[in-house]
Amino acid sequence: MGNLSYIILLPLLASLIVGFGKLGATYSRLVAIGVIGIQLLVLAKIALVFDPSQVGYQLVESQDWIHLNLGSLGHFVSKYSLGVDGLSIGLILLTGLISFVALWNSKDIHDKIEGYYSLVLLLNASLMGCFVARDMFLFYVFFEFMLLPMYFLIGIWGGPRRNYASLKFFIYTLVGSLFILIVMLGISLAYMDPNETALAFPNLGFHDLSSMQTALAAHEIAPNQIVHSFDLHVLSDPKNCQPNNVFSPQSGFLLGGLSGRAWGFWLLFIGFAIKLPLVPLHTWLPDAHVEAPTPISVLLAGVLLKIGAYGWLRMAIPFFPTEAVDAAGIMAGLGVFSIIYGAYNALAMTDLKKLVAYSSVSHMGFVLLGIASFTPEGWQGAIFQLLSHGILSSLLFLMVGVLYSRTGNRQIDNFSGLATKMPWFTVVSGIAIFASLGLPGFSGFIGEFFSLMGAFTSTHLTPIYAILGGLGILLGAGYLLWTFQKIYLGGYFVRESTWELPDLTILEKFSLFGLGILSIIFGIFPGIIFELSEIFVTNSLNLLFH
Amino acid sequence: MPIQTIFLALLILPWLSAGLVAWLPTKIQVNASIVLAGFFTYLAFKVGHMPENITSYPWFTLGGNAVVASFWVTKSAQLLLLLVSIVALFVQIFSKSYLAEDPKIGRYYSYLHLFIGSMTLLVLTDQIYIFYGAWELVGACSYLLISFWYQKEAPIKAAKKAFLLNRIGDIALLFGLVGLANYFGSSVFSGMHGSAPALIGIAVIAGGIGKSAQFPLMSWLPDAMEGPTPASALIHAATMVAAGVFVGIRVFPFIGEEAHLFMGIIGAISLLAGAIFALFQNDIKKALAYSTISQLGLMWLGMGSSASLFHLYAHGIFKAGLFLTAGSVIHYLHHQKATHQADAQSLTNMGGLRKQLPLSFVAYVIFGAGMLGIPFTSGFFSKENIAGFLWDSAQHSAYANYYYVLLGALALGMMLTATYMCRQIYLIFLGQNREGHKLEKSKTDWLQIIPISLLIFLSLFFWISLNPMDAHESVFLSFFHIENYHIPEFWLGITAGSWILGFGITYLTRRWVPKRNYQFLGFIWPSSYRIAWGLGQKFHQFDARIVDRIVVKFTELQVIIAHLSAWADKHLVDGSVSLVASISRGLGKRLATWQSAQLHRYWFWVFFTLVFILIYLLY
Repeated sequence: MGNLSYIILLPLLASLIVGFGKLGATYSRLVAIGVIGIQLLVLAKIALVFDPSQVGYQLVESQDWIHLNLGSLGHFVSKYSLGVDGLSIGLILLTGLISFVALWNSKDIHDKIEGYYSLVLLLNASLMGCFVARDMFLFYVFFEFMLLPMYFLIGIWGGPRRNYASLKFFIYTLVGSLFILIVMLGISLAYMDPNETALAFPNLGFHDLSSMQTALAAHEIAPNQIVHSFDLHVLSDPKNCQPNNVFSPQSGFLLGGLSGRAWGFWLLFIGFAIKLPLVPLHTWLPDAHVEAPTPISVLLAGVLLKIGAYGWLRMAIPFFPTEAVDAAGIMAGLGVFSIIYGAYNALAMTDLKKLVAYSSVSHMGFVLLGIASFTPEGWQGAIFQLLSHGILSSLLFLMVGVLYSRTGNRQIDNFSGLATKMPWFTVVSGIAIFASLGLPGFSGFIGEFFSLMGAFTSTHLTPIYAILGGLGILLGAGYLLWTFQKIYLGGYFVRESTWELPDLTILEKFSLFGLGILSIIFGIFPGIIFELSEIFVTNSLNLLFH
Repeated sequence: MPIQTIFLALLILPWLSAGLVAWLPTKIQVNASIVLAGFFTYLAFKVGHMPENITSYPWFTLGGNAVVASFWVTKSAQLLLLLVSIVALFVQIFSKSYLAEDPKIGRYYSYLHLFIGSMTLLVLTDQIYIFYGAWELVGACSYLLISFWYQKEAPIKAAKKAFLLNRIGDIALLFGLVGLANYFGSSVFSGMHGSAPALIGIAVIAGGIGKSAQFPLMSWLPDAMEGPTPASALIHAATMVAAGVFVGIRVFPFIGEEAHLFMGIIGAISLLAGAIFALFQNDIKKALAYSTISQLGLMWLGMGSSASLFHLYAHGIFKAGLFLTAGSVIHYLHHQKATHQADAQSLTNMGGLRKQLPLSFVAYVIFGAGMLGIPFTSGFFSKENIAGFLWDSAQHSAYANYYYVLLGALALGMMLTATYMCRQIYLIFLGQNREGHKLEKSKTDWLQIIPISLLIFLSLFFWISLNPMDAHESVFLSFFHIENYHIPEFWLGITAGSWILGFGITYLTRRWVPKRNYQFLGFIWPSSYRIAWGLGQKFHQFDARIVDRIVVKFTELQVIIAHLSAWADKHLVDGSVSLVASISRGLGKRLATWQSAQLHRYWFWVFFTLVFILIYLLY
């Protein structure tokens, strides 16, 4: 067992202990924060050991897990295999950090405290699992498992309409995972795992990859001698596909004008798009955010949404490279539409939390635009935007939380001129808002800039997508500055005279300023993040266009 | 100290100063800030003597290409750096007196240092990313300074407007710069050679429209006068607004003539519109703001050539001087018993102030002479140089007629400039006080007198050339590589004619004072805001009523289908299917105890879909 197992098992064990150990409120909190703290230390060690110049997965772990003999359909193998590469390293660090911040700011949770911390730990474990799994089945297990704690966290500790919101979240995500499941089973049945096949049937006498792939294409391997696996690497090579299968590039299968592989791509794309969320599959997000308690909103926006883009970069695009590149225009169009649609909706919001939620939709649109460019700039920008948005949306939701915990209200019109009463809060909110509207010197700028730049210079897209995306930057400045002006500037006013608005506590200062400073560091030295994902991006793009 | 260390110190010092000033105790904040600004000016002079060179620091790697933080010390950058540091220092000294009564003034000085830092980056950088970054940062500093009095409604609205109108231009700049980098295959200005396509060049130039408050994005600048007057002198008169000219100067060698002409035409429109609307302002600062728009238009008329750079510098000095002088007039009226309650910026309350403020009167006249381009001021040389540039370009260009039209606009603009400037001097200092206020003599305030006197000193001719009529052998011009363009003698006649006409019109209309501040294209802002807001509402309705409804209805349909199939299951199907159904119903009951009554139906339906799809895929 290596470090990657620890970052999953630690919170998992702690979740059981907190959930069933009858520790009491204080100790549950301490254990939860302590365990995530230890997890952060392990993550720090992983980050130090990680070699950014190396291609492929590192810190690899692999254990046999499931082996099924399906008779004439061959064998099914799923492994407990973990690894981390340039794409996931940043995301696991982000997950650790945001989980810590969320737990740190969970002081306002007052009932069923043990259950709450137990579920957050469970969520953390499944998120970590998602990002480090090298086996699609294992990924799927973690992916589905995430649903459960999230559903309860919104449904039990949420606001007045929590039932509706949690059910909506549940259904949406389940539909998404259904699409993913279909493709997962289909593609795994279609593909042969050369390594496993050679291991399981040494009598076939194969020793190298290409001879096996040639034999497969020539029908020389009997179906019952094929070992299917969920290994992401195997599934990323179309040459491993059995001939005549719907997922085979040569199959000639058409359904509704789309080939089997195109269906596979779009189903995976939509499955992950729901998580991102991409307009028009986004309507669960504002409801879920508005009803979720602050720390859960932080986790939702900070980490959960990233799985959508992660899924595209890790599965949808590598599995179906040609189809993905063909779809560049549509993807970019959807991305731009999300940017503008999210921004306009945010402009119309009167509830601060909803505004932040729609701003998430808008900002995640840049991720898709960057990915659709299929350029190193665009991809680096997209990955950077994932991490940057993880930090900034957490900061924005914590900002909403500060107001909500003091007044129980989040209507923008109910506040004015808080700068006079809460100078520290105003400074950190100013950082959050200017960073989110893409001011240079903060991380938000780098992600948006390079996504747009990728889209502008891409040979797969016309510049109009980037130019329309630029409109999103303008609208973003509009709604964010409007909010800042309404709430913080002007003469002091709050709707109810009984509302007390003390400035930030020490605990709040720590987490809010910590995230703000992190955003500034990444904004000035983007190389810290670019360096991690550089090899992943260049290598993935080389594979796409080789 | 080696020059490289000084250079690095120059880049970093303002940022540290900003933090330090904010952190220091209130008592010593202001003095510390002035000392730091003085030190910065010293460094700027050191760097001003550096030979032209490129300094690079490693930054990050992207897609296999190393991106360096690269800085290019050019003559134009050095000149601007000197202008910024000098004006910033004077403004800080002046502010100590002007804002003496504000309690928490550290924030203001901290913002000024942030601005200096961003502006330094902007003029020195060679990298398009840093250039764009610094470009946005100066805009943000402008936002912070306009909204300095954040408890009042007008400044915060003005600040927001300034930021948003600037951003419109910024987007054009973003794509222009990326287009340049893509076309030349280099992300540094020093690596761009040749001639870029017209569209890219125009996009870059259009990027400057917002920042330089040119046509049609000009309406933010008069509003921005809600900020503290000394800050306006630095940011909204002398330096930041000139960034739009500076981008033209940086890209001048490698954008085509079409883009140059685009810049000139925008400049000509702004020159005339700004000058006309400067006539129709009641507020002394807003009149100066329109005058700035007009003068920036003049620089744009120079199309980013060294003539633009020259006027940028000359204007920076005398416009900062005008603003500081106007500031001291406002300060004086605000502290008089008779006018304390009145609007200290309104021309209605002025007139005859030469008696109380003789020094300000002299200063205003000299700076005004600079604006008119009267000999013995540096403005004379810089204005003639722009005319010379246009004449020169017309001689060997396929677009000669355009240049002659622009020259005509320049002549008309000079006449209008003479008119509004003389009118302003008349309305403030000459005649009698129009409201009959009884005013006392002003107190001597060295903190105000020294910066203004030094600016007067700097705006005179002998810095440029010892011959007040001819800059032919100017050391200054050759040091900063500014070309001395020539125009035939007849132009001197036109210039003189414009002054005479200007004086004449002023004399004839001297009794008329504008009742309010008329806005040029003022409607663009509120109406575009309304449109965006209305679109937002529409999008939101669409989102709530259609997108969300479709999803909810679709889910409800699933429930109905689930009911039907449950019925079919109960009555029609038996065996394995009914077993599955009963399992899922049992599961559903358990789930129902969690939160919802509908969840189990959903599970049921999901399960069935899954089974069907699996069957389809397998066979």
